[in-house]
Amino acid sequence: MRSLLDALDLYRRLIGMQIRSELAYRTSFVLGILAQGLNNLAEFATLAMILSRFEGIGGWSLREVAFLYGMVSAAFGLMDLIFSAFDPGTFGLDVRRGTFDRLLLRPTNVTLQVLGSKFLLRRLGRIGQGIAILAVAAPRVSWTPLKVLYLPFVVISIVLFFGALFIIGSTITFWTVESVEAINILTYGGTEMMSYPMHIYGRGLRRFFTYIVPAIFMNYYPALYFLDMPDPLGSPPYMAFLAPLAGIGMMAVALAFWNYGIRHYASTGS
Amino acid sequence: MRLFWRLIRQSFRLQLTYRAANLAGLATNFFFGLLRAAVLTALYGARTSVAGLTLQDAVTFTGLSQATIACLSFFGWYEVADSVYTGEIAADMLKPMGYFSYWLARDLGRAGASFLMRAVTMMLAYALVFDIVAPRTAGHWVLLGLSLLLSVVVSFCWRFLVNLGAFWTPEARGLIRLAFGASWFMSGFLMPLRLFPDWFVRICNLTPFPAMVNTVIEVYLGVLSGPALLRALLGQVFWIAILTALAQLILRAGVRHLVIQGG
Repeated sequence: MRSLLDALDLYRRLIGMQIRSELAYRTSFVLGILAQGLNNLAEFATLAMILSRFEGIGGWSLREVAFLYGMVSAAFGLMDLIFSAFDPGTFGLDVRRGTFDRLLLRPTNVTLQVLGSKFLLRRLGRIGQGIAILAVAAPRVSWTPLKVLYLPFVVISIVLFFGALFIIGSTITFWTVESVEAINILTYGGTEMMSYPMHIYGRGLRRFFTYIVPAIFMNYYPALYFLDMPDPLGSPPYMAFLAPLAGIGMMAVALAFWNYGIRHYASTGS
Repeated sequence: MRLFWRLIRQSFRLQLTYRAANLAGLATNFFFGLLRAAVLTALYGARTSVAGLTLQDAVTFTGLSQATIACLSFFGWYEVADSVYTGEIAADMLKPMGYFSYWLARDLGRAGASFLMRAVTMMLAYALVFDIVAPRTAGHWVLLGLSLLLSVVVSFCWRFLVNLGAFWTPEARGLIRLAFGASWFMSGFLMPLRLFPDWFVRICNLTPFPAMVNTVIEVYLGVLSGPALLRALLGQVFWIAILTALAQLILRAGVRHLVIQGG
């Protein structure tokens, strides 16, 4: 208990430091938030224009897609905020330059130090955009207490899911040094793919994102439940509630791999 | 001019050496292509043609837009800004050719290599998976080549121009990122511009962005003919002229600024 509290306190102080240093360049910070928010908003605006021309996609209306999109976008932004330091692209640089080695010398938990080494507050732009879109889509949902209660769990599950992909991608750089492009496909490709109802994809793609990378449990099945929509593929209704399980499972696998990676870590020597 | 050619060749050969990185990039492009093809197929549903584009055209579009990414350095290009920050620009300025032409030559070489490794390969891979359309006559291919070359130059001018921000502020990366974001939405890279509402297309046409992607894609698909085709190609030339002039003007002011600061 004692050590957990210490760890939390250390984490809080590390993050505080990151936030203060980011706020030191105020103009850059505001521009950064704006750039993120605007880019994502423009992305959604193009989607909205196309969807209204085609009157929806795969039987889903613009509002229904917006719900899915907002949920995934806000959750991905939140993940990108918390797990900034595990972004495989920048983490690979730390491994190459040897800055990661420094963390290993300090007498405290490495994972915690990595988590606390970066906290990109400008991701708030994307989180804000996701929440705004979710709010616009919210009237489409006939809310029940259970739905209200379950939504945060789904968001946290998506955070864990993408966080796990980031950690796996970073661990791979222990061996490859360079960031591995395949992970970008899963993270950035994954967010785009998860923004659409997944029954529109072919069987191969859907199977891959069910059995190998369980993305379909994070967005599609929960969205069916929130929107009270039938699954054209006829999945049982309890599938909607597997998101937390899949999220925690992914994170457990990722952390196990990460710890294995640290135990076998051989520095680049630079 | 001989120097210009040599730089192009050198940069071409340099880019050809990054085989692993290009292969990985190709895989990503291919995945995103598949994704967008599935989305467009679902959007079309039972429709056979929308705004003059058949579903086959639309699927071909997803391949083309991914094939041009590397050629046009569409996801970010900070080389000029970086050379200002590292001070390499001082050595580049001493070279016996204009700073703009120096970078243009390097970029053309890079684009040429990317064309072979990322664009041609991408379309070949696409042809294996999908039933795509392709130009049928030699004249069509020639026009396509011309339009693609012009695209690369328009895109280069735009990238060079926004990179010049580095002369004035040490935080130009944010500005450049914003500029790239704008080009994704308004160039017809995410979706063919024809599928957007008219008012939006009209706004886009006031910018150089459609001349980077949309024009070359429409030339490939053969949806333009006669005067419309000529107008599209002249539009590309027009934007090259405007952006080049602007870039030269700002570059001159920037260099003066840089020297005043002590370089």
